Amino acid sequence: MNNLKKTKNSIRWVIALKEEAQVILDYYKLKPINEKTIYPIYKNEEETHWLIICGIGRNNAAASTAYLYAYSNASNYTSWINIGIAGSCKGNYGDLYLVDKISTYQKRKSTYPSTLPKATLPKMHLFTSDIPISDYSTYELIDMEGSAFFDIASKLTPKEFICLMKVISDGPEDNIKEITKSKISNLMKENLLKIIDVISYYERLSEEEFQIIDKPKLFNKIKSKWHFSATQSYRLENLLRRIEIFCNKKDIEKIIKNCETSNSVINVLNTKIKNNLVNWSKF
Amino acid sequence: MIETIYVEDAIQNHPKTKFILNKFKKSRIISINKYGEIFNKRNQNFRIQKANPCLILAHKKDNFVLPAPEGFGLGSSKNFYFSHMYNCIYDCRYCFLQGMYSSANYIIFVNFEDFDISIEKIIENNLDSKVTFFSGYDCDSLALENVTGFAKHILPIFRKYPQIEIEFRTKSIQKEPFLSVKPMPNVILAYSLMPELMSNSLDNKAPSISKRIRVISELASKGWKIGLRFDPLIHGKNWKKLYQELLENIYKNISLDCLHSVSFGTLRFPKRMFKDIFKLYPNEPLFTSPLSLNNKMISYDIEIEEEMTSYCKNLSLRYINEDQIFKCSI
Repeated sequence: MNNLKKTKNSIRWVIALKEEAQVILDYYKLKPINEKTIYPIYKNEEETHWLIICGIGRNNAAASTAYLYAYSNASNYTSWINIGIAGSCKGNYGDLYLVDKISTYQKRKSTYPSTLPKATLPKMHLFTSDIPISDYSTYELIDMEGSAFFDIASKLTPKEFICLMKVISDGPEDNIKEITKSKISNLMKENLLKIIDVISYYERLSEEEFQIIDKPKLFNKIKSKWHFSATQSYRLENLLRRIEIFCNKKDIEKIIKNCETSNSVINVLNTKIKNNLVNWSKF
Repeated sequence: MIETIYVEDAIQNHPKTKFILNKFKKSRIISINKYGEIFNKRNQNFRIQKANPCLILAHKKDNFVLPAPEGFGLGSSKNFYFSHMYNCIYDCRYCFLQGMYSSANYIIFVNFEDFDISIEKIIENNLDSKVTFFSGYDCDSLALENVTGFAKHILPIFRKYPQIEIEFRTKSIQKEPFLSVKPMPNVILAYSLMPELMSNSLDNKAPSISKRIRVISELASKGWKIGLRFDPLIHGKNWKKLYQELLENIYKNISLDCLHSVSFGTLRFPKRMFKDIFKLYPNEPLFTSPLSLNNKMISYDIEIEEEMTSYCKNLSLRYINEDQIFKCSI
């Protein structure tokens, strides 16, 4: 658990049923982890994708999201995905929807997940219930996990990194009692291409965020040569971020190579910034 | 294209809500209780939102008009500001709005009638003072004029009170509603400007400087009073030459009779705000500038600030009077 790789893109899946997850497990080549865990957990070889089977209900969704976060050492640039089947009074059986509003019986206030920009998928309002509902007339989409997943995930990452997708499995014309394991698997399979397309956006988003927040190239190398306090490390990181934009790695190493202390490294880098005349024609 | 519009339940049927929604027929409309449910949430990524912002239509409850901070005015004894909108459609890298709110979504407050009441009340209470109102402190005052019609709505109030000034500060090239009405000597159309080369890198999504100058020239020729806001002054290679070209280009191409005022402000960020903005955009060329902490603000060193301000001021004095020049310090 502590020797996890630092990966550039990072996706975490929270899915209620194995039948809903199977198509994802197969496509992203996720294998069960070799440890006994409270909820079944899968990951790919690169450790970019992790998936947890949370079981039905809000408590399971909340607990498993937090569990996966801790277990997989998810970063603050991780994208979190919840996908599964849902009832609907409005859409057609088998259609995939993005969720942009979530309500529950318990909370007076609704929550508002972001959706990926320029999405071709339609969007709906999700109602998360603690019991199966057979009267579909009031709600666009009905599930049993979405609100709890979103409440926890939005504490772990900005809401732009969270996505909820629902495939319509039942409604006034499609009896909930007729849902079978194979029907669920088929519903997910039929939407796989659309799901992959959505996930590619979240993989890109996660990777771009990683590039932005990753430490400057020379940071660790410089830190290994001189001793920096926590405050000095913070200053070093910020100075390097700024200098690396207009100065290459070799030149930076050259100007600090004769420094005897971490303080003098910071002073030299500070002077470099102070004397920089930004060439606006280059940007 | 605005993909999603959140609308507060209380103003679903407000005429301005309907007017605005009518302009976005393809957008998804989501009803909300209060705008804070979307706008004030802490765990949001401003930079990602800024790439595809949503619109929020809301009702403003109070604080329609506020006293402007010290150092914001243009010589009036009393200065006030109001914002019918929070956030801006432009994405200028030096703008304080990047560090102001956790959300990059735009809010439009649709109850313009309440702004009218507050503005008129302040005017009536200050008939003996020299008063200036500033529109758009928390947004660009004209950038979404084609959607909101706010300037068009508010102008008639100021036609009634010719002794009261109002400034619309903008980077937009919206000419309406000014071309369709008779110029008003108490209305200042104030444009933020910097050399094109710097603007190309810093004023993301905003109209080019040359387009802004063309609009300034056109509005000045119609008789509207113009304000020039060189705020912030940006340092860099050839800054003297770049500012000389810009200032001379403007002064030679607009009717100087219509020039109300010129102001210069240096690049400055409160320390906390700089930290937030740098975290959002660490790879921006602006932050390779010689910026450091001076008097709790991140800014250029005082020598650079003074050199830039006096250079631009002296150049301007060849064309305008000293009493038309102001310093922006907020």
